[in-house]
Amino acid sequence: MTAILQVEKLRKFYGSFEALKGIDFEVDQGEVFALIGPNGAGKTTALRIVATLLSPSDGKVEFLGFDLKKNPEKFREKISYLPEEAGAYRNLKGIDYLKFMARFYAASDRDEEEFVSRAKEISGLGSRLNEKAGTYSKGMTRKLLLARALMNKPAMAILDEPTSGLDVINALEVREIIKRFAREGISVLLSSHNMLEIEFLSDRVGLIDKGRILDSGPPEGLKEKYKARNLEEVFRSALQ
Amino acid sequence: MKKFLNLLLKEIRELITMQLLISLLFTVFLFYFIGQMAKSEAKKAMRVQKIAVLNLDDSPFSQELVSGLKNANFQPQMVRGKDKEKAIEETKMSEANLLLVIPEGFGRSLETLEMKEIETYSFLRTFSLVGTRSSIIINSVIRALNGYLSSDFLKKKLPDFNPDQVKNPIKSKDFVIVKNRMAEGSPEKIAGFVTSQSVFVPIILMMIIIYSAQMVISAIAMEKQNKTLETLLTVPISRTAIVTAKMLASGLVGLISAVIYMIGFRYYIGGFMGDVSQAAEASGLSGVVQKLGLSFSAGHFVILGISLFFAILCALALATILGVLAEDYRSAQSLIMPLIFLVMIPYFLSFFSDIRTLSLPAKLLVYAIPFSHPFLTTQNLLLENYRGVLYGILYMIAFFVVLIVLAARIFSTDRVLTMKLRFRRKKVLV
Repeated sequence: MTAILQVEKLRKFYGSFEALKGIDFEVDQGEVFALIGPNGAGKTTALRIVATLLSPSDGKVEFLGFDLKKNPEKFREKISYLPEEAGAYRNLKGIDYLKFMARFYAASDRDEEEFVSRAKEISGLGSRLNEKAGTYSKGMTRKLLLARALMNKPAMAILDEPTSGLDVINALEVREIIKRFAREGISVLLSSHNMLEIEFLSDRVGLIDKGRILDSGPPEGLKEKYKARNLEEVFRSALQ
Repeated sequence: MKKFLNLLLKEIRELITMQLLISLLFTVFLFYFIGQMAKSEAKKAMRVQKIAVLNLDDSPFSQELVSGLKNANFQPQMVRGKDKEKAIEETKMSEANLLLVIPEGFGRSLETLEMKEIETYSFLRTFSLVGTRSSIIINSVIRALNGYLSSDFLKKKLPDFNPDQVKNPIKSKDFVIVKNRMAEGSPEKIAGFVTSQSVFVPIILMMIIIYSAQMVISAIAMEKQNKTLETLLTVPISRTAIVTAKMLASGLVGLISAVIYMIGFRYYIGGFMGDVSQAAEASGLSGVVQKLGLSFSAGHFVILGISLFFAILCALALATILGVLAEDYRSAQSLIMPLIFLVMIPYFLSFFSDIRTLSLPAKLLVYAIPFSHPFLTTQNLLLENYRGVLYGILYMIAFFVVLIVLAARIFSTDRVLTMKLRFRRKKVLV
């Protein structure tokens, strides 16, 4: 496997507060890598930096050989980012939102049609796509946004708490979609504090707390290493 | 370019909502309705009005007074009897709003030049124009009658003299000079006419600036609240394009909205002001104004448009920065206040005072506000102070460049997500 994303000694300061204290991790081609940890651990900050929303205070972030500081636009061409609890434009119909987003990535009208058609299939929203996004439930909005994030088959999808606030059925559907696209070769960097979800989705996990990665590896390997029954117990043991 | 147009169209579609259209149409309808009401009230005031008259003196003079009222568009209803109290009661029950009591011996007293009082009783049933007009006209009829009687007396006593010259031995001939042009006319009438012609300009300026700025602040705050901005900032399009598309869309929609509002506002003001232009035309005032160069030419409107355009750009750039400071849509509504104040200061000053006569610190403050310049442009153009207009435009361009560089820098850094105006302890999302 070749790493498409390499993060080394990544640090981030908000004023005098150090949110990330030199973390290292990498994501391979077609791999689902998850950052797990409690609220305030630094998951969102790490994802936002890779998504080019925040600039790193120190350290190196390389994606497909491009340096984040020098070529953020190269990142933006190949990644897609799904923020936690994000919404869509309330006054746009679901279908218009998808078309609007597709035009940023499509090189031709044919590409645009292909992206939108894929997004329609991923979202499963059917005729509801002809209604304004402001009328959607939380689950529907999340599916629309996930469809948007995956429609152009990005090299890497960055998903921040993809099932946060969703009911069981919607959460299951969203996880299935992520799993399916990962199998098709899309790398996924996600964050969650739902350990069950992480076990189901991830090939490898990074345990993060107070801006440091405590340990990382495949869920089964970590369970074995810490002699734990699940990732929650792994996390507790890693903290000690 | 294709990506920019995609973004621009999205911004416009987001701004032109059904709520906005309904609110615009409703406002236009409301302005139109109030304007029409005012117009019909004014027409009512001009209609023949009934007036009750208790004539206790049956002399030719009192009859002349009554016929003078008929000429002044009144329909006198003569009250029978001699009792004033009864006449008041009777008028109260009638449609007339005014009772005129001509006292006994009125005619005789005029012949002997003794002061005699005519009593008027106004029934204030409403505070509208119609309700108060009667007594105003009665007073002007009495004034005219006084003039006629005194002239008549002077003619009899001093047959060799012109009564007008005796009553007003000093006359004035007024001239007004603007730059190197001179015309005969009353300065207050000319100033009043010019003001009435340009009264819309500051209102249009204020509405466009505030409307566009409010749109861009709300749009950015809404994007931050819904986290759609986070998504947008990660798509392959430059941050400058994102800022520009937002500003351009808000400017366009703001301009269209302001024009629609102004159409409604014109109906509204038109109702109150009546046909000022026609009246000015009839009195020859507009000719004097033309001669003095105090009317707006097409070129003036172009220059005013350029000045307004840069003021809008300054407002949009400032609003973009304020929008970034907003945490959500609600806090954006409070953040618009400083901008509104910056527009209101020159707006009110342009109405109530002359900015050039202010103290130096106050003057500097007003000149430092970019929105003062389009307000000043109106006067500067009429007074041919083109240098002042040019400096104003140059200042706004400089102000805009500084702000747009600042806005683009904010959008290119973490600050677009982390910069917030907080009044409580700072929290960091990690």
